[in-house]
Amino acid sequence: MLPSKKFTWATAIVYLLLVLGSLVVLYPFAYMLMNSVKLGPEILNSPTSLPTKLTLTGFQGVFATLNMLLLFKNSLILALSITFLNTFLSAMAGYAIAKIPFPGRKQIFGFMLATMMIPGVLFLIPTYVMMYRLGWVGHFYALIIPSAISVYNIFLIRQFVIGIPNEQIEAARLDGANDIHIFTAIILPLSRPVLATVAILSFIGSWNDFLGPLLYLNKPETWTVQLGLYQFQSSITGENLQQLWASMVMVTLPLVLVYFLLQDQFIKAFANVSFK
Amino acid sequence: MATLVASAQKANRAEQKGPTLSVRMRRGFWGYVFISPWILVYAVFGLYPLLLSFYLTFFTYSFVTPDNYVFVGIGNWIQGLLDPLFWQSVLNILYNQVIFIALTNIIGLATALLLYKVTNLGRLFRTIYFMPVITSVVVLMAIGGYLTSPTGPVQSELVRMGLLSAPVFWKFNLFLPMPIIAVINSWKWFGISTVIYLAGLFAIDTQYYEAAAIDGASGWQQFWAIALPALRPQIFFLLVVNVINGLQMFTEVFTLGYDVYGGPQHQALTPVLYLYAQAFDRSNIGYASALGLLLAGLIAILTIIQFRFLSTNEGE
Repeated sequence: MLPSKKFTWATAIVYLLLVLGSLVVLYPFAYMLMNSVKLGPEILNSPTSLPTKLTLTGFQGVFATLNMLLLFKNSLILALSITFLNTFLSAMAGYAIAKIPFPGRKQIFGFMLATMMIPGVLFLIPTYVMMYRLGWVGHFYALIIPSAISVYNIFLIRQFVIGIPNEQIEAARLDGANDIHIFTAIILPLSRPVLATVAILSFIGSWNDFLGPLLYLNKPETWTVQLGLYQFQSSITGENLQQLWASMVMVTLPLVLVYFLLQDQFIKAFANVSFK
Repeated sequence: MATLVASAQKANRAEQKGPTLSVRMRRGFWGYVFISPWILVYAVFGLYPLLLSFYLTFFTYSFVTPDNYVFVGIGNWIQGLLDPLFWQSVLNILYNQVIFIALTNIIGLATALLLYKVTNLGRLFRTIYFMPVITSVVVLMAIGGYLTSPTGPVQSELVRMGLLSAPVFWKFNLFLPMPIIAVINSWKWFGISTVIYLAGLFAIDTQYYEAAAIDGASGWQQFWAIALPALRPQIFFLLVVNVINGLQMFTEVFTLGYDVYGGPQHQALTPVLYLYAQAFDRSNIGYASALGLLLAGLIAILTIIQFRFLSTNEGE
């Protein structure tokens, strides 16, 4: 069971299996990249072979038929608004629950934890009915406002902030600082690791969200990349198949690049575990 | 639970000896201010929709004729409980989740064990395995759909190797869509299990392995006797989270190109897809609300069963 430092056949097999696993994980991404630079008929006739001639017509076609910049702009507006609001408001609530002893705090926190057990599907229909009556369908704020704060993020931040020593907060309080000062000058800077976690989760969640935009963003000029990609898929003909793959590369690549830059934070955010 | 209540009571008593309630409330003023965004958002977009959902189940309501509100009592609930399509969607998703949960956990645990053995390049492998997790479902289902299509590389390779006599149009086969979606999905999500199991393995004191090795236990025996029991909290956590999320599957089947009823024989119909069909195809809002509550009830029952039989923190 224990890791071994010296070379044995067993460790060679372990590495071999890990490399095989990596190939299985990477192959679909490679397949996507490869098909994005092949011609449509070639993709259909020889789907597994390497491209005989590299072409960028896929990417050109995507830019010609799909307003990719608008889709990216919409997705960024949504994801950045949600990330900023959710991180900031969840941090405020997390700090209050961790460090400000107001009456009712325990009850509110207990209630919050209970709400985490409610599956999201329950909100689907009534929220839509509500947005429909409010006239919010078709607007970004129908997606932004309900996601402006979340219990899971409050919980993560609370767990972190509770570990910040009280002495530091009390010292600032004796110097006359109120909770706004303490929050902005002490808590926010010290909580950077957990804020990164929360920000990544919010950003990826809203960037990759499909059902929300499908329900609420019914006008093409408000579509996000995921929704645009889905609508685009069905409209592509065989000889332009490279456009489909090119559009998927364009949607995936920016995120993968950011992921490689911040991989440890990403993994920690999703699995809530960290390695030394 | 009992200890939680007791400690809360103790804390209450301790607080009561201090300043009066109004003084403490004034001191905690900023606490209320800081918590107020959540209370506001949850009241409007949490509690209100929950009550509305419950209320709507007693009516027929349609976006087409919004003024035509008809009280039907528990009609929608009865209809949902007797709806063969709803139950087929439930069976479909259970069929899918049994395979998905088994696959993600086995692959996740296997890769975690391999990564645990490795001293070099572990971080690189971990990064690669986690890559599908951050990629969007829309993209991955499109790639997965093409790879496994009758003309795609997976099937043509299987045919060439003689493992498959002819390509299969699995999307419209009666029993294949759910397992194949489960395979594609486990490819997307196993990275999370890997990382969680790996963290669990690193938390085990290596002295146990050393002692077992001295007693002559093989690596296999050490895994069953030491590692697996120690990973019980991780297994439990992954099961609970997977069941809650997995039963609400929608985007996977929707973007694979099925109609909102999950194909001609409803082979890919999931409960949320059916709910979507009832709400937005038939405009049966009251009925869709009832289906949502029925599904939530089902998830609650499965979660309670898991807590009852698998939870590891009874003694704490």
